[in-house]
Amino acid sequence: MPRRRAGAAIPEMFRTMLEKPSTRAYPYQKVELPARFRGKLDIDPERCTGCQVCAMVCPAGVITMIDIGTRKVGDKELPVKRPVFELSTCIFCGECVDNCAFKALEMTKQFELATPHKEDLTMRKALTK
Amino acid sequence: MTEDKPPRKEESAGLMKYSAENLVPFGPIHPALKEPEYFKLVLEGEKIVEVIPRIGYVHRGLEKAAESRPWVQNMYMFERTCGICSFVHSLTYGQAVEGLTIYEIPRRAKFIRTIIAELERIHSHLLWVGLMGHWAGFETLFMWVWRDREVVLDLVEAISGNRIHKSMNAFCGVRRDMPEGMEDRIVERMKFLVDRANYYKGIVDTEETMLERTEDIGRVSAETAEKLCAVGPMARYVGLRRDIRLNDPYAAYDEVPFDIVTSKEGDVHALLKLRLDEMIVAANMVSYAVKHLPEGPIRIKIPPVIPAGEHSSHSEAPRGEIFYYVKSSGGRTPDRVKSRQPTMANLPTALEILKGQTIADVPVVLTAIDPCFGCMDRMSFLDIESNRQWTWSGEELRRYGINYYFPERMKMR
Repeated sequence: MPRRRAGAAIPEMFRTMLEKPSTRAYPYQKVELPARFRGKLDIDPERCTGCQVCAMVCPAGVITMIDIGTRKVGDKELPVKRPVFELSTCIFCGECVDNCAFKALEMTKQFELATPHKEDLTMRKALTK
Repeated sequence: MTEDKPPRKEESAGLMKYSAENLVPFGPIHPALKEPEYFKLVLEGEKIVEVIPRIGYVHRGLEKAAESRPWVQNMYMFERTCGICSFVHSLTYGQAVEGLTIYEIPRRAKFIRTIIAELERIHSHLLWVGLMGHWAGFETLFMWVWRDREVVLDLVEAISGNRIHKSMNAFCGVRRDMPEGMEDRIVERMKFLVDRANYYKGIVDTEETMLERTEDIGRVSAETAEKLCAVGPMARYVGLRRDIRLNDPYAAYDEVPFDIVTSKEGDVHALLKLRLDEMIVAANMVSYAVKHLPEGPIRIKIPPVIPAGEHSSHSEAPRGEIFYYVKSSGGRTPDRVKSRQPTMANLPTALEILKGQTIADVPVVLTAIDPCFGCMDRMSFLDIESNRQWTWSGEELRRYGINYYFPERMKMR
């Protein structure tokens, strides 16, 4: 084989011409996501106790705790807190999900989050209860 | 009265202004994709006689930001230092913090860290080989290599849940175990990648475009590279046996058999082959580590308060040595974090290599150190003979380079 020749890649070129395209027609043909895919965050309001651990570990400051009332513990009045998620700043690390002792949080497989309104990405689901 | 003298050649070239003393120190910025950096080239006709870099455009203040965040949050922040070798940053920062604690990292976690780090090396090297094809004017290689890179990214996504920012590391362990039944798939995919790497080695050895653009370009002597503290592939391609994985093993590198690749040729062509060889070594390491994955826990949960003290750690990123230093006063946040990235270490060598090259070789030589190549987006030229000054964008520079070597191809387009 000569050391230097033009078109050393031509055989491979013919091979790839006969192959299926490497790209996928994405919006029409959905991509199969792996089981561990980390998409949009979701919360189960029934399970959330407002313990604030998720807000403490979140590296992106997505989670703010809001007082939604008070509860009596012994003779003390303690605030009841619930998280509000600003998903536009979420970095999808999943640290909050790992740290939730009540399994209230989960990462869904939803990733098409583009929206013209930033407010659409504020999740106030936990406040409803 | 003083006479108005015409400016000296050095003054007009900016050489007097930019002495070595007043260079801006390199902050925690990183060679990520398309980041701004500025080089002023002083020319004599086609030949480069001096290169003046101006760095620090994307200084994000990560080190300062780290001081006001809890330890665990910093892990994810440092992971985002780079968009290519993200895992190795969190790994090194994690190792530095783990050095302050008394806990031992589980053996299985060490193996998983090694697997992810090597997968990342394969993906980074493939990305680089593709870019090399792009800048040299061999676009087909770029397309093929990036297609094969998807194989690695798919594996990484299946293991960690994300293609680039894996978020796999935790202090004293990893966050996710290897998925069940992935072993065969990983080994088979690694075999495929080794085949592809061997094929690309043949291509870069015989294809005229690559040989023309890379052979005998970017030469530097081993003494100069050693003197200028080159790291990673930039040190290995001149024959220095410098690799943190071998010199100071971390994770499971002392248990996974491997040998580093070095080259004697010392030009960009050798660098291409060296990175492809390193890919093969990395693929074999992944196969070995997956087959010999020990049983046991993957993580020890540690308290959020890290004991007082200071510790440093270094590791071998795809581009070279990464260094992290942490200082704790026993609180919830670090007192000080310092990080040093390989491009900072390789920049002096790259500038030394550039001297004596032609303008057409600038993209190839600058890509050779695997930097943020956004640097080339704003490049100004100064011809000290005609005292003419002009600026080119990255694309113009690329076209100039291809046209210089293969004028007939540019006519065809």
